[in-house]
Amino acid sequence: MSLLLLCWILFYINALTIGGGYAMLPLLQREFVDKHHWLTNQEFLDAIAIGQLSPGPLTVMNAFIGFKLHGLTGSLLAVICSYLPSLIIVTLAVKYYYAYRESEFIAAGFTGIKSAVIGLLAAVAVSLGNTSLVDPGTFAIALCSFACITFTRIDPSFIILGAGLIGAFFF
Amino acid sequence: MKAPDDLSQPPSVARIFLVFLKIGTFAFGGVYSMLSFFERELVEKRRWISHDEYIESIAIGQMTPGAPIVNSGICIGYRLRKLRGALASTAGQIFTGTITAILLAVFYMKIKEHAILRPIMKGIGAAVIGLLLSIIFTMSRKTLKDHKTLLVAVAAFVLLALFKVSPIMIILTAGAAGFILFRNKSR
Repeated sequence: MSLLLLCWILFYINALTIGGGYAMLPLLQREFVDKHHWLTNQEFLDAIAIGQLSPGPLTVMNAFIGFKLHGLTGSLLAVICSYLPSLIIVTLAVKYYYAYRESEFIAAGFTGIKSAVIGLLAAVAVSLGNTSLVDPGTFAIALCSFACITFTRIDPSFIILGAGLIGAFFF
Repeated sequence: MKAPDDLSQPPSVARIFLVFLKIGTFAFGGVYSMLSFFERELVEKRRWISHDEYIESIAIGQMTPGAPIVNSGICIGYRLRKLRGALASTAGQIFTGTITAILLAVFYMKIKEHAILRPIMKGIGAAVIGLLLSIIFTMSRKTLKDHKTLLVAVAAFVLLALFKVSPIMIILTAGAAGFILFRNKSR
């Protein structure tokens, strides 16, 4: 039963979030951490890190979550349910592209959603920050990581690996 | 430079899978490096699609729910070989990442309780917060351009952080509010 529920959650989240893989984090956190307690905040952070470290889109983190909850079956179903909505919606959008693009309605709605997603992500950052920023050292790492990713072209994966190394030696 | 593919026939499903496998495997570093990889592989090197079609596919990827980069791939795959092309591009693009994520999951669960992992994950967790802040910063600069968009973002933050309103309700409400707030402005 909880396998079906996992599929449904990933399906609806992927069908409804505009604005990239990160836009899904608030919904994933609500469902997996707050509502069903399938993951702790720490494990959710680990899942984001692993999604970022794996090549390809961030959403492959769903394979990690699926595996953690239900093994190999869970991870494969998680992948299918994550990309099925895209397959359906994008093929429709290609067919009706011109109508889709010209729709003032859709563009206006998206502006609203994209703005809200920023606020939601900020709330997620606060809640995860409460878990992971516990001392001056972790604060410093977060600040450096922010600055490096925002203002240089260094790949975020390297920043994350570097932070892991710093952790291994200094924490 | 290699000669572009013969264009009298669209590429086979297997070729689509392989090219997107290459894109999904070697394009580290998020959206921008992936986008330039797309352009190089599909437009310049292979000439499967024109530059305009590429731009259009990127736009559709941004306007549809899910991971934008996967969606742009679906779009291109669909143009080339309809539904089978769309499936091949999706499978190719996520293949390596999915395998990597599963392997990391196996490894993670094996040594999760091990003492060495804790300080490493502590460092990584802090870096992820920096990453999130960076995403928020970049998105804000692009999207929050006036009082109305800023208001929607702040309202969404307050509703989730303080009142624990369900994020999906917030997103749906923001979409509906967008119809009213941003209607005249768009386009």
